[in-house]
Formats: sequence, C-alpha cells, structure tokens
Amino acid sequence: MTTGPLNDPASGPTTVSATGLTLRYGGTRALDAVSLELTRGVTGLLGPNGAGKTSLLRVLATAVPPDSGAFTVLGHDPSTTKGRLAARRTLGYLPQTPGFHPDFTAFAFVDYVAILKELTDRAARHREVRRVLEAVDLEDVRGKRIKRLSGGMRQRVALAAALVGDPEFLVLDEPTVGLDPEQRMRFRELVAEAGEGRTVLLSTHQTEDVAMLCHRVVVLTHGRVRFDGTPAELTARAAGRVWVSAQRDPGALAGWRTGTGTFRNIGEPPTGADLLEPTLEDGYLLALDGESTEVTA
Amino acid sequence: MSRALLWALVPPVWRALPWRALAVGGGLGLLLAASTRLPDSTPSSETGLAVLRMVALFGALGLAFLLDDPARHTTTGVPVRRPLRAGLRLTLVAPFMAAWWTAALFLIPAASRPPAGFLTLEALALAACALALPATAIRFTTETEPGRIAAFWLGITSLAACLVPDKWGLFVAEGTGEWDTAHMRWAVLLGLAAVLWATCLPEPLRRRSVPHFTPTGV
Repeated sequence: MTTGPLNDPASGPTTVSATGLTLRYGGTRALDAVSLELTRGVTGLLGPNGAGKTSLLRVLATAVPPDSGAFTVLGHDPSTTKGRLAARRTLGYLPQTPGFHPDFTAFAFVDYVAILKELTDRAARHREVRRVLEAVDLEDVRGKRIKRLSGGMRQRVALAAALVGDPEFLVLDEPTVGLDPEQRMRFRELVAEAGEGRTVLLSTHQTEDVAMLCHRVVVLTHGRVRFDGTPAELTARAAGRVWVSAQRDPGALAGWRTGTGTFRNIGEPPTGADLLEPTLEDGYLLALDGESTEVTA
Repeated sequence: MSRALLWALVPPVWRALPWRALAVGGGLGLLLAASTRLPDSTPSSETGLAVLRMVALFGALGLAFLLDDPARHTTTGVPVRRPLRAGLRLTLVAPFMAAWWTAALFLIPAASRPPAGFLTLEALALAACALALPATAIRFTTETEPGRIAAFWLGITSLAACLVPDKWGLFVAEGTGEWDTAHMRWAVLLGLAAVLWATCLPEPLRRRSVPHFTPTGV
C-alpha cells in the first residue's frame, strides 16, 4: 500500500516535509512509513483512536525521534541538536493532555512558557503574554491560579502557551476537547487566524472542525496515511455512496437512525437507492473502511 | 544560553519546585535527628549511625520528587533544553540540602556522631539515586510526576540493602573490617547514579511505552 502524499492541494512552498517516518512502541508500529508535505494553512489530521495521530504530532513537535525516516521543519533538520533547537524556535505545540503547574496563575504559566521559548525581554514578553491571553479570551482571569480554572479555560491556557511567541509551525493535538460550542467557535476563529501565513497541523476527531478550518486533510489509520487531499475531495469519495432507507440496510458499511426516523446508510447502495448529499464525515468513514480503500481521492 | 534567559528562568523554576515533598522529607529527617537531643537521651554511636542513615534516606525520598513536572508535556518542544531546567532545579535546591544535612549532622551529639565524611558520602549516593530514578522514568515513559514511584523504589531498595550481609552490603556497622570497602561501594554507587542521571536527561527522549504510564494516545 502506498503511503505517500499523492495529492497535495495546497499552494505555496513546503514548510514541513516528512519522509518514511516510522515509530514503534515495543511491538506496536505507531507510525508506518508516513510521508507528508505541509504548506502554510491549516491541515487537519483525522483518524480513529490508536491511528497514530498523537505519535505523528509528537514526532513533528520534536518530542520523540522517529525510529526511521526523516523530516524537516521550515528547513531545519531536527535529527541534529542544532537543527532541533532551530526547529523548536519555530514551533508551538499543544499536546493532547496538557499539564500545568496548578499553583501558577494563567499569566505566570504562559509567561514561563514564553521564557522557555527564549523571550527574555521582560516588557516585550509580558506584552506578548497579554496578547495571547486576550486572543484566547482569558484576559479577565489571567491572575487566577490554574487550579481554580475550568477544564475549558485550562485548555485555552494551553492554547495560549502554544501561541505565545508567534510560532510559524503550530501543532495542535485535539485542542477542542473540553470546549463548549461557543468556545469551539472562538477556537476556530483563532486557528483560522493562525493559519494565515503559518503552518498549522490540527489533529481532531471533529470532522466539522476540519470541514470549517482546513484547506487539506490527512487521514491516518494503523499508522499509515490513508487519504491526503482537500476536504472537498474526501467528501467527494462518498458521492453516490450515501443513501436513506426506511429500515437499516444490512448491506451498508455503516447505518444509523436519524432524527426523522429514517436510516442514513453509507457504503455501496442498492439499485434505485434514495441517494443523499455526502458530508465530510461520510467520506472519512469510507476512507477508514478496509485495507483495500484507495489512498487518493 | 544567555545569562538573561537563565535569570528569567529562576523565578518560575523556583516556584515549580516540589517544596512540599522536600519540606516533608527534610522536616522528618531533622525531627529524627533532634530526637537524639531529648533530655535523658544518651544515644550510642550505633544509634547515631542508624539515625543519620535514616535522615539521609528521608532527605533522598523528598529529593526524589525534584523532577516532578506536571507541565512536562505542555513544555515539550521548547528551545530551552530539559537538562538545563533540571540542572537549575538542582542548583536551587542544593544549598538548602547542604544546610539541612549540616544541621542534621550537628543535631547528633558529638559523642555518638559517626564520621561525617563517610556518612556524607552515603547521603550523597542516596541523593544521586533519588535523582537518577525519576530521570530514568522520564526518559523511558511519559510520566510527568515520577517522584512517588521513585521514592517508593528507593525506600524499598534501601530497606532491602539493609538485609544484605556486610560482606556485600552498603549499610555496614562502623568499626567493622567492611567499613572502608562498603564506602568504596557507596562511591561507586554515587558515580553510577550520577552517570545515569546525566545520561537520562538529554533530549530527545527515547522512550518505550509503559502502558500504565501512558496518559496520552498512541
């Protein structure tokens, strides 16, 4: 099975390039020869639990080295100490389960991360910290200790920590977990804004986030790239393969009762089926189905 | 690494230190040492030795929490290197540990105080082990706060070491023929632990996933 970037819809120069990234945890192959080329803009990374999304993000964030393969971040090769430091100077990383020093205030914590990003000028750094806290709508609680903040607020503190220093490459691992719909909308605005002129890699389970934010989507399963293209192309894969029926269709790959009492099915429709307009999620579910699914859109 | 960056790092690193664990370990150690000063208490030199060894162990158990960093994953991928941050933590704590150990030594009545140099070597080796264990856990797992498990294993291992015969042991009685040899072993242990600490700190962290240590996805 081919796992390379067969369809790159993005324009502009390549900012992050990965070739044959492989990562093993004991006997488990978390990444299996993943190749990717990212450009500026927001790229969505979709995949089921255990697909290797977090592993890929951790490798690209230089948190762990790959077992084999190579990658560059804005021209820097993280396999060398010098290259890794240079890559990290361009990086903002929001991990899947961000942790904090609970007794720090939101301001103090983001300020600490800013220092770790080598922002040494106190006045300029504090201005930058205030800017990102304002951007994530935490200006009012900046003096509050993190242990007193809600889960959603903590998530935004972590996002502010990723954004501080205006990184050129932003790696976001399931950032909308724990956010309410209003916060998610605000978050989408933020990421869309960040994607203008920067490279953003967004791992998520939310296909709506990808549909609304991303110019490109990569689907990972079993550590391999199963699809690499535009959201429209992923949606188009489901064209003619989504239909509605009065009863659950046993021939469907997946089917569920909708609010109207009818069943929405995806897969190979029977002759004369009442076809529906596909969504990105339909295309994604089809991309996950079976090892024989084609890579390209 | 600029001096300005180092100075900027001091306040947040100071705040992030596990002061509670250090205070509990150090406090219990001092209380134990002070118990030898109770009225009508005339501790023997064996008692003095045992007390000081327990004091050293309490201090090491507190020190095992030094690398606990709940923000570990959030601060991954920053240019300031982890060894520098760990070194800064140790540098900030070291003067307090030195003062604490000196106080513990002087709390033991002079008549029952064992040779300070030998006991300081033991305390240093225990402290080095207390630092090396969590550093190893950090290198090979995704654990953010390895202090608790490191302290547990340090305590268990120290207790087990007490049961080892003097011929191969570490905790030998003063005045026996094995005293000097045992302290050679302490010196070797100190060196090994220091090497392990130094080996485990540099990045990127090579890891082998341990299931119950893995809070994140694959």
